[in-house]
Amino acid sequence: MTALLPQVLINGLIVGAIYGLLGLSLTIVYGAMRVANLAHGDLVVAGSFIAFVMTTQQGQSPMLSMLVAFIGVAAIGGLIYSLALRRLQNSPEPEIASFLFFYGVSLMTGAALLFIFGADTRSVLFQFDPISFRFADVIVSHARILALAIGIAIVAGIFFVLYRTIYGKALRAAIMNREALLVVGVNIDRLSLVAFAVSFGVIGLTGVLIGLVFPAFHPFSGLEFTIIAFIVVVLGGLGHPVGAVVGGIIFGLCEQVTALYLGQSLGMIVGFLVLIVIILIKPDGLFGRASWNA
Amino acid sequence: MSGVTPARHALRQDAVSSPAVIGELRGVSAAYFGDIHVLQGLDLTFNAGRVAGIIGPNGAGKSTVLKTFFGLLRPLEGDVLLNGQSVARTPSHAMAAMGVAYLPQGRSLFLDLTVEDNLLLGCWPIRSHRRAVRSAVQRALDIFPSLHDARRQSAGSLSGGQRRFLELARALLLEPKLLLLDEPTAMIAPRFAAEVYAMIRSIANEGVAVVLVDQNIRPCVEVSDHIYVLELGRKTAEGTAQDLQTDDALRDVIAGWLEVRGG
Repeated sequence: MTALLPQVLINGLIVGAIYGLLGLSLTIVYGAMRVANLAHGDLVVAGSFIAFVMTTQQGQSPMLSMLVAFIGVAAIGGLIYSLALRRLQNSPEPEIASFLFFYGVSLMTGAALLFIFGADTRSVLFQFDPISFRFADVIVSHARILALAIGIAIVAGIFFVLYRTIYGKALRAAIMNREALLVVGVNIDRLSLVAFAVSFGVIGLTGVLIGLVFPAFHPFSGLEFTIIAFIVVVLGGLGHPVGAVVGGIIFGLCEQVTALYLGQSLGMIVGFLVLIVIILIKPDGLFGRASWNA
Repeated sequence: MSGVTPARHALRQDAVSSPAVIGELRGVSAAYFGDIHVLQGLDLTFNAGRVAGIIGPNGAGKSTVLKTFFGLLRPLEGDVLLNGQSVARTPSHAMAAMGVAYLPQGRSLFLDLTVEDNLLLGCWPIRSHRRAVRSAVQRALDIFPSLHDARRQSAGSLSGGQRRFLELARALLLEPKLLLLDEPTAMIAPRFAAEVYAMIRSIANEGVAVVLVDQNIRPCVEVSDHIYVLELGRKTAEGTAQDLQTDDALRDVIAGWLEVRGG
């Protein structure tokens, strides 16, 4: 089985990068707006279903699916923000209120997907050419290489915006001191709307990548991704973008390596054990809680 | 460190000419939760090139005057004017672009961002003009050499006095017409406080209308051109610093609430 290890490590890295992306959008929404998005996974699955319609049904390319999923889920995010976010943030317990609100969004998304697509398991079918690449003994599918490349590009793009542009700096400043942002003249409401919509767009896009990497999904796959996203975020440090990516890769690697040696069903359990151990050693996660240092 | 270049002093306005009115509160009443009126029919005028000192006991509504002017609190009655235009319904985030800078009490910095990034965010209203942003930040760092040396450090690593200079530097970046200062020397070392007062004077001498809310009466009176005394949301006295020294009635007012405060 050791011969399979390099293969599994590569897969772990790819899955981990996607988990990192999953955590990144969750952590930005949480960090900047104090919103615990419990519908995270369901919106990811909505993105996967957009990929299903675009590729399997329409025969379009995965790249176009990503664009459509980004725009579609970003629009949902913008709508949710405009309708509910200001009220949630002004409530005396914004975190609990948003948690419950997004639980509702989660149920509604799952039910909507069930209504539209039925309960069957679906997958993204697209004929890549070549279908896979071979590096020495390691075979990686074209779809996974594409997912990894897009994942890395998106993460790099998000980090560039967060740490190198005035908009990203303002967003990081929002978590440190919201009132001071008013003083320097930032329209927090508009900034939050854009950040929220873009984060949701990334959620949709992640759904397409998940459709490419994982064999199948159904309308209620969402909860699993929500849980993974929360684990990854807590692992890395709540509200910490770098932590989310590192947490995702650790979790992905643990899951895949465990699946190789101990079987598929134990994969997630070991992931949880790693989380518990890290929380015992560093209660604030690997990178500490939401300091958003430069 | 002297935070002020000699060139700033050269711009001192003629104190005799009648200065332009920059900001005005006209019959303003304001309340936080609708029941307790913190400000009651207040009339205040802030002139270009002058420091208006606002003093009064705790709970007099001093900070509320600044918050109301900056749009953080909507006046229930009356009007707030900036250059003759009503700004009573203008949102706070639009005030910076209109030439009003506000230094709230307590922390207004982004402690995990670098000194440079804190200044950068102070340029938000002009963010699309990259060159103007760069030169504004550079100018601020030139005026405050100690900030220049610490520009890559996080704002949280600065001392209390340096933080206050950073806040002032950021407030001055866009060359405001009106500067609202809430207890600018609270919680900082006395030697820094003296520098802050000197800086306030020279900022006003450049033509900025400065509003100074302060618990420290003596330095506030010394640096101010005009003093407003507030009590329970009403203006109980006003006058120049000289009036304060000579006017018995005014002295009595202050002595009265100094006793209450045990000061």
